[in-house]
Amino acid sequence: MNRSFNKSQPLRHIDCNAVEVKSKYGAEFRRFSVDRVKPGRFEEFYKLLLHIHRIANMEMMIGYADVHGDLLPINNDDNFCKAVSTAHPLLRIFIQRQEEVDYSTFGTNTITRKKKAVVALRNSDISRRRPNIHIGLPHDFRPVSSIIDVDILPESHRRVRLYRHGSDKPLGFYIRDGTSMRVTPHGVEKVPGIFISRMVPGGLAESTGLLAINDEVLEVNGIEVSGKSLDQVTDMMIANSHNLIVTVKPVNQRNNVVRSSRISGSSGQSSDSSGSTGYPSLSMAAARETPSGAHGYHDDLESDEETDIVIESSLKRPSQRSSSSLASSASRTQQQLPPSHRSPQHHHHHHHVSLNQQLHKEPKHSQQHKPGQPQLHSSNPALRHSNGSLHKILNSLKTDPRHSFALPKGGVEEDGTVITL
Amino acid sequence: MKFRFRRQSTDPQREKIKQELFAFKKTVEHGFPHQPSALAFDPKLQLMAIGTKSGAIKIYGAPGVEFTGLHKDATAVTQILFLPGRGCLLSVLDDNTIHRWELVAESTREVGGVKKEGVVSLREVDSYSLPGRPGIESSSATRATVLLLLKSCDLLCVGTEGGGVYVLELPRLSLKENQTLLQDHVTQSLPDDYRCGKSLGPVESLQEHPQQAGKILIGYSRGLVVLWDLSSRHADQLFLGKQQLESLVWERSGNLFVSSHNDGGYSVWAVTNGNIYNHQPVSSTIPYGPFPCKAITKILWRTTQLSSPVILYSGGMPRASYGDRHCLTIQQDKEHVTLDFTSRVIDFFTVHNMDNDKEFDDPSALVVLLEEELVVIDLLTPGWPSLPTPYLAPLHSSAITCSCHVTNVSTKLWERLINAGKAQQSRRHTHRKWPICGGKSLAPPPRQQELLLTGHEDGTVRFWDASGVALTPLYKLSTANVFHTDCDPIDDPHDPCDDPDMQQQEEEEEWPPFRKVGCFDPYSDDPRLGIQKISLCKYSNKLVVAGTAGQVIVLGLNDERSDHLVDVSVMDLLQDREGFTWKGHDRLEPRLKPAPFLPGFQPLVLLQCLPPASVTAVALHAEWNLVAFGTSHGFGLFDYHRRNAVLARCTLHPNDSLAMEGPLSRVKSLKKSLRQSFRRIRKSRVSGKKRAVITTTSKVQEANAALAEQEEVAPVQRRIEPRSADDSLSGVVRCFCFADTFLRDGTHHGPTLWAGTNSGSVYAYALEVPGVDSGRTCERGGASESSMCVEAVLGKEIQLMHRAPVVSICVLDGRGKPLPDPYEASQDLSIAPDMTNAHSVLIASEEQLKVFSLPKVSAKTKFKLTAHEGCRVRKVALVLFSSAVQEDYSEHTLVCLTNMGDMHLFNMPGLRPQVRFDCIRKEDISGIASCVFTKNGQGFYLISPSEYERFSLSAKVLIKPQCSVQLLRHLGHMFTWLVALSSWFICQCSFNGFALCTLSLKTDHRSQKNT
Repeated sequence: MNRSFNKSQPLRHIDCNAVEVKSKYGAEFRRFSVDRVKPGRFEEFYKLLLHIHRIANMEMMIGYADVHGDLLPINNDDNFCKAVSTAHPLLRIFIQRQEEVDYSTFGTNTITRKKKAVVALRNSDISRRRPNIHIGLPHDFRPVSSIIDVDILPESHRRVRLYRHGSDKPLGFYIRDGTSMRVTPHGVEKVPGIFISRMVPGGLAESTGLLAINDEVLEVNGIEVSGKSLDQVTDMMIANSHNLIVTVKPVNQRNNVVRSSRISGSSGQSSDSSGSTGYPSLSMAAARETPSGAHGYHDDLESDEETDIVIESSLKRPSQRSSSSLASSASRTQQQLPPSHRSPQHHHHHHHVSLNQQLHKEPKHSQQHKPGQPQLHSSNPALRHSNGSLHKILNSLKTDPRHSFALPKGGVEEDGTVITL
Repeated sequence: MKFRFRRQSTDPQREKIKQELFAFKKTVEHGFPHQPSALAFDPKLQLMAIGTKSGAIKIYGAPGVEFTGLHKDATAVTQILFLPGRGCLLSVLDDNTIHRWELVAESTREVGGVKKEGVVSLREVDSYSLPGRPGIESSSATRATVLLLLKSCDLLCVGTEGGGVYVLELPRLSLKENQTLLQDHVTQSLPDDYRCGKSLGPVESLQEHPQQAGKILIGYSRGLVVLWDLSSRHADQLFLGKQQLESLVWERSGNLFVSSHNDGGYSVWAVTNGNIYNHQPVSSTIPYGPFPCKAITKILWRTTQLSSPVILYSGGMPRASYGDRHCLTIQQDKEHVTLDFTSRVIDFFTVHNMDNDKEFDDPSALVVLLEEELVVIDLLTPGWPSLPTPYLAPLHSSAITCSCHVTNVSTKLWERLINAGKAQQSRRHTHRKWPICGGKSLAPPPRQQELLLTGHEDGTVRFWDASGVALTPLYKLSTANVFHTDCDPIDDPHDPCDDPDMQQQEEEEEWPPFRKVGCFDPYSDDPRLGIQKISLCKYSNKLVVAGTAGQVIVLGLNDERSDHLVDVSVMDLLQDREGFTWKGHDRLEPRLKPAPFLPGFQPLVLLQCLPPASVTAVALHAEWNLVAFGTSHGFGLFDYHRRNAVLARCTLHPNDSLAMEGPLSRVKSLKKSLRQSFRRIRKSRVSGKKRAVITTTSKVQEANAALAEQEEVAPVQRRIEPRSADDSLSGVVRCFCFADTFLRDGTHHGPTLWAGTNSGSVYAYALEVPGVDSGRTCERGGASESSMCVEAVLGKEIQLMHRAPVVSICVLDGRGKPLPDPYEASQDLSIAPDMTNAHSVLIASEEQLKVFSLPKVSAKTKFKLTAHEGCRVRKVALVLFSSAVQEDYSEHTLVCLTNMGDMHLFNMPGLRPQVRFDCIRKEDISGIASCVFTKNGQGFYLISPSEYERFSLSAKVLIKPQCSVQLLRHLGHMFTWLVALSSWFICQCSFNGFALCTLSLKTDHRSQKNT
């Protein structure tokens, strides 16, 4: 490996095959070189970078500036080779912590507008970042919407599915009454219809780009809205808001999905509106929560199940007076509790694990619940923590403030209280 | 699969069972017709008819005898005329049409092998529109003002606005052109000085001569009265009255008639043969003069054998001092009573002797139809007391705020209630026979006593006998005397107007001699007294009543009068939650001195919730002596036996500010929405004008309209967002459930309390009730039971993911049947619940119905109503439906009333949809909100502030009018039909909504004709 190189060594004069590397992590720079012809494997390069920057136990994101000045990621052998071979005169490497990666800086012309880009790179204020289209790294992504059933719907219609996944992002649209033109045997008729009247900026509906103002709503989760009042359609949409499938007739008919062939339409693909097969068009956006498993939308059907939360209290000592109120704070379900431990809230990490052992999702996870668990509950070390730490647990569960119980004051002091989800 | 529920079951066997169980029918309307506009009485059949502004006609006879008809157009009925004795009547509508109605038998029909003898109903058989006067386009000239049906029943005289009198021939209502009397004809025979070129005005009154058939008295608005001979078409006499005429009435002999006038006076005219012109009346009186008085709108003159005639008239009050009163005066000699009503007098009649061979009228009763109630005065008893009405009860005497139905009341409790009610009735009531006694109810006595309890705005709870067709008042409970209010009734809790001593005093001093009559009193002393929730235990005779200011009163039944102090217990539901200040109304001040309580339900404990928000849910478990109550802030549990607060729990979400502001702040938002709707109306008016014919002036309007449209009102739009925990009023407690079930584990059952909130949270508490066998040995055997307290420990909290308000919670036993009521199991009054198999709990929210297993709460079955149908659950009841065909077959069914006004029925515990019925108009929000179900598949809802519609969902249990009327029908010859009308009742099965009926038509048509 090339790690014997010292930053003070004048590399260019010794080996013309060597590529000078200037790597930057935070405010620190390191200089070394790699072989242009045989750069080696990405993994080795990655380890080298960690070593020379003295980074330990952290997932890093490697990026480089290409000839056009664009910041591009290096995450496999291919783009590593490409980066080394195209480096001219030197290869500029940027190292970022995985969770601090600002994807908005990737893409075109990020380095030419260098000053801005550097500011963005240095800026660790995550909250200020705009969610942006992000290419690559599929495990950090899950769908927030999709167009489904293209094969069975008329081309002028679009069936859009909105995935809330318990995010705090509002669905963000309004509907209204209106009139629509229908071609009937008696000619063109005006019939009452339901239309999208408003989109909330930054809402889920707007961010998908699949719904627009004045789109006519034809169906809600497979049920036609014709003949239903605005209030009825509102109630239906809200009742289905955890897994909302809206069939619309877009007001803009130019962006319709064009079927490649008619044959595929009759190929017997799933017509179930909740089907998890083919997504002809998948609009994706970054999401903060990390879903379990490779498929973020793995449990689509279950997400619709709206599993209710049951909080059980120990009834071991019924004589004890329930003075005011018992522990009663929990958030949604496991959807929000990432089993893959990529959570940025590392200090809460082990609490999650211990809680997860007790959380059972009703009803499909109830089998996991061990019969002897009630005894475990009262003596669980995770819950034997000080009052403050239990608060932390509960607060960490409260990723979505809209979906959490009110935390009763002093309620968690109750001895022997058990939270089971 | 996702949409499996939408598949229709096609099992023919199941379909048959469904038909045997379920059938929807609106059966009878209880209460007082909304906005009555006309009254008529058939003295021969003793039937009374009331017409309403919405075009309904209702006929009442003896209690239980009722018929209803509805005109095709919802136009106000202005007049009703009976063809006496024939079961036939004419109605005049506001649109100048006359309709003929008959009590007719429908053709016989055979359905399903069961012979149906035809339904007898009130049917419209003919209608007639009055012709326009030739040459005059204005329809107002021929607008009918008064009608007169001649005694012969073959001619109908119609007086019109234009002063003409038209004669129609019955029964076909054909116009007899040659009989028409136009005003010009009358004017010719008038002396010149009276004529003075003015029109005579509309016909105000038409009265047939009591002795001489074919002679009618025609009264014109200007004051002229003509005695007209129809056969000779000649004016017998002319009475040249100078005061504007309001009404006319004959004296029985036909020698006198009386006219009433708009100056508040009446005149008596003598009808003496000889001179054709009568210039002066015999006498003229203004009873409430000398200052200007209001018109006497109607006058009756009834002769009596023993004394001078009785004069009855409405109006005539001194304009300045009492012009706003609704009065009716009864006068006889020196006796003079001014009945002072709380609503407008629509019409009145007397029940008197109609036989031609009798010399005197001898009136027995006065029936007054008021806008809001019916008042009957007994004219035979000295002092003219009022008679309690057996039907047409003014349900809304104070606005109804809630209701509660109790089935199968024991005879003992029933008798105690009746006695309590009797003790309440004032001495001014008589118990003379009800004067309107036509028809005969053939209904068998009700199989069980049913009680309907209505809570009212004035803090009263009224107990009604809902067992049969006539909803009759039993007993009235007032809760106002528990509190110290501004207008504290001094000693006696019942109405001061019932106190005869006070009345006597007033009568001596006051002129006119007013007497308050009737019970319609829309003005509540204090809106905080309003009753919000009622729960009655029919086994222990315990009653819980909860109101608007957070008061919860536990009452017990006592047959003796009692003076005692009511215990007060205050419960803080906020539980020291910080940062909240209640901005709503204050609590009611409890009375500090012992108060007298009449026999009946007497208060034991008053629980006061703090903050004093309206109570939103209440539950009573008399066996455990527990009452649970909730408001928008939280809920509490109270042991009323030991006077011990067991539990208080706050359900408020920290962000919910609306809950703290009390009811006042909501007025603001109402104001805002009103303003918006007015804007919308204005806008629609403007755009409406645009459609009108464009004239030069309308150009300006058009420009204005365009401008108005520019300042666009935002279109009605709805936000699509899932519910969140901090939605306003999410902490409102919606329902409770007491149950002896398995909450801790699958082997030990015990008392539990369940509470559901507006935000889809359910709290389940395990209760430790001393002395109640909770399925395990008492741990503290040493302690004496009396010293032990009831304890509650939170067992489970369930948060429904969809967060819709929890409408109802019900625990099901091992067989999936609802647990019996308190005492039913312990006293072997019902089948013991299955405690061996696993229990489950039904949680019904506004969006979903869900059954969870117990003790581990996991979903077993569910039905997502809103997601599929777009409607939301408003009311839920578990009902036992019995088969109309198979004996002893019944099913527990969940009945849901939705915000669309339809009924969805689901089987239990599978929650599979069974049938759906349209019931209430979806716009009728108050009707949907007022709906209450019985346990056997019937229900009630308000169709107006004063009327309950009774309906049945059961194919077996139906309560319908069933009566016979003896009719005298004129079909060439007079002969008698005895028609047993519309007889059908309980235990009749119906298919396709046609109820079975039996009709015995005992008519001997031929034989009578031949003889």
